[in-house]
Amino acid sequence: VAVRQAAEKQSSDVTSLKTLAALDEYFHGEESSVNKYLIVLMPVNNAVVKQTTIGNYRAVYLPAGKRDLKTVSSEVTEILHSVLVREDALLKSFQNFLGAREPKDKASMRSLSYHQGYDILFTLVNPQPDILDIDWSIKEAVEAYLSPMVKQLSDYINLDIKSQMLFFTGLRRKPHKDKKNSGFYYEETDLPHTINPLEANLGSHASNNPMLNFIVYVPSRDQHPLHIVLKNGEKVKTNSFLSPQWGGIVVQNLPSPPPNSSLPVRVTVDMKTVMEVFLTQLRLLMDFNIQVKKDLQVREVGNDVIREWELDNWLRKKCLENLATSISTLQSLTALLEGISNIVIQDDIGQQVENAVTGIKEAHRHLSSGQIARAFTQSRKALASSEKAFFDPSLLELLYFPEDQKFAIYIPLFLPIGLPILGSLFKAIKWIKTKRKQKPKTE
Amino acid sequence: TSPEEFFKSGHTNNWAVLVDTSRFWFNYRHVANVLSIYRSCKRLGIPDSRIILMVADDMACNPRNPRPATVFNNANNQINVYGDDVEVDYRGYEVTVENFIRVLTGRLPPSTPRSKRLLSDEHSNVLVYMTGHGGDGFLKFQDAEEISNVELADAFEQMWQKRRYHEVFFMIDTCQAESMFQKFYSPNILAVASSKVGEDSLSHHVDPSIGVYVIDRYTYYALEFLETVTPGSKKTMGQFLEVCPKYQCISTVAKRTDLFRRDVNKVLLTDFFGSVRNVELLPDSIHLQNATLHTHSEDSSDVKSDKPLSYAQQFPMPV
Repeated sequence: VAVRQAAEKQSSDVTSLKTLAALDEYFHGEESSVNKYLIVLMPVNNAVVKQTTIGNYRAVYLPAGKRDLKTVSSEVTEILHSVLVREDALLKSFQNFLGAREPKDKASMRSLSYHQGYDILFTLVNPQPDILDIDWSIKEAVEAYLSPMVKQLSDYINLDIKSQMLFFTGLRRKPHKDKKNSGFYYEETDLPHTINPLEANLGSHASNNPMLNFIVYVPSRDQHPLHIVLKNGEKVKTNSFLSPQWGGIVVQNLPSPPPNSSLPVRVTVDMKTVMEVFLTQLRLLMDFNIQVKKDLQVREVGNDVIREWELDNWLRKKCLENLATSISTLQSLTALLEGISNIVIQDDIGQQVENAVTGIKEAHRHLSSGQIARAFTQSRKALASSEKAFFDPSLLELLYFPEDQKFAIYIPLFLPIGLPILGSLFKAIKWIKTKRKQKPKTE
Repeated sequence: TSPEEFFKSGHTNNWAVLVDTSRFWFNYRHVANVLSIYRSCKRLGIPDSRIILMVADDMACNPRNPRPATVFNNANNQINVYGDDVEVDYRGYEVTVENFIRVLTGRLPPSTPRSKRLLSDEHSNVLVYMTGHGGDGFLKFQDAEEISNVELADAFEQMWQKRRYHEVFFMIDTCQAESMFQKFYSPNILAVASSKVGEDSLSHHVDPSIGVYVIDRYTYYALEFLETVTPGSKKTMGQFLEVCPKYQCISTVAKRTDLFRRDVNKVLLTDFFGSVRNVELLPDSIHLQNATLHTHSEDSSDVKSDKPLSYAQQFPMPV
């Protein structure tokens, strides 16, 4: 922790900056690195920051004003505790992954657990391609909106992005007809049943990575326009919903072709609105989103998609989760190997276990010195090694050979031949004894 | 289920492992059993990518089948359970005790394709259905080997240790089926068996035109119950466990609920047989700046050849 007085140049620069975005950019250049945070106490008469605001990089802006040191410092600790370094949440998820199995909260049930890579599949579902020829420039949209995020995460997780178009298939559940306006709607209770028929057509994939599906659905003309409504009847602004650990669906109502036009009519999907929804859902599904208390303002994230302090939080959380999973895997592996006494453990399993333990120790070391990125990489290696050791196919072969079945196998083999041998052994001993008795006699 | 209920139930996806262990033509009914349960699972929403179907013998293309390419579960031959979209993951001689235990515990060789893996996690509810010939403490696989109840209990414990399931519903239709779940000791398993130790499970009826028994009693009445279930149904597991009383099944249906944490009368049937998703509505989305979309020019590496295409020579002919 270090406290500094602002330099002359900095003060004049800050008073000249008029927007939060500019302020953020100014402080981004300065000493912003992983796990290092900047708390800027704004001057009294600044026009930009009226309420405590958290920027998109690693700076927090506090309008200190005329408050005394005590309130300001308690606010700073509060921010550190609940937003920047979320100790309670980290502890809870660590315990959970170690095996506590407490009742889950929404955030942990919604997001996928960490894996080396995720597959992301964007699908456009067009039930009537003979009427609407839909053009969606998905390749360019992914390049423009998603690649910054993919690049930011490329050190930590591999995102494999694919896209496809599906024709002549739809959400088979019949929507309700809106009597007031001419339209159709789905209620929240209808939505769970729309995904399954669609999922059967989405296609299978070859990798073992978890898959996130993002679907743009253009309703057929007899269900147009289609909206999703809340319980109180008002329409959901984004016209979309997400399914935890699976993905999301957004309904795009494209205009119908005018009468007497030559079918199919070419229409374009507005990729910006679609990608806005998908990126929001992606943030939730990949566990980047952090709920902040109402009295703290957070700057709009915009095209960066992930704020840097959110990334730090994610790294910390995933690092701890990976460590907890590795530890519990190694513990259950030990319990298994101790339980079965006659199991053969190959050398490479032992090597993997050692790698896992080294990874865990290194991760601890990096965590205690604050280098969360390196700790994360080590925890990832530890997780991979422990999983490889536990799921090794060779651990099955001599696994289930109960002791009582050994008797059942060896007795029928050896008893029939054993009885005559025992009998002849007795006879032989008797014969030797009589011979010995005879010997001194015949001397 | 409403979204609030969803987050109460604690699972986000459903898997099914359906195993038929007997071979030979006269065990037609076991294949019909497992395929009928497969159809019910699919109808109620579990996709093929999350069903592992193991069928030990091929009845549809068996030379003794008077109706080739079909498997019926009823004498009136109304439903062909071996329709167009049956995806069998382990077939014929691949259905062994070793493969079954490997699927459950996840210790498969790295070359195993995704469709043959049970990729469940701690939020998955897994339905395990087994049918075939069994005895006191074992289930016969392929007429050559057997799986004991101790092995099965250990396999489930391995799954629990590695957090590969949230809840398991274990259904078994064989003779003396109760013995197979007596040794279970892992939490969150609900089990039902078609007969008690010492009793035989009986088949239901014979199809004179095919010449074999086509369905077993317990599975027949279970399917009758499942036919009335739709994906949005509110029927409970408690009702399902009461299916097939003694006058219908002749054997006594046994169940095991002590390892299961929730009250079975409050658990929905679709928690195991169907795949009712949980959804969350987003109140708002992030706002993006309009980024210019660069239209991709064709890759310069795409060589557009002008040569006409021709078939490769199949036989070594002189050019």
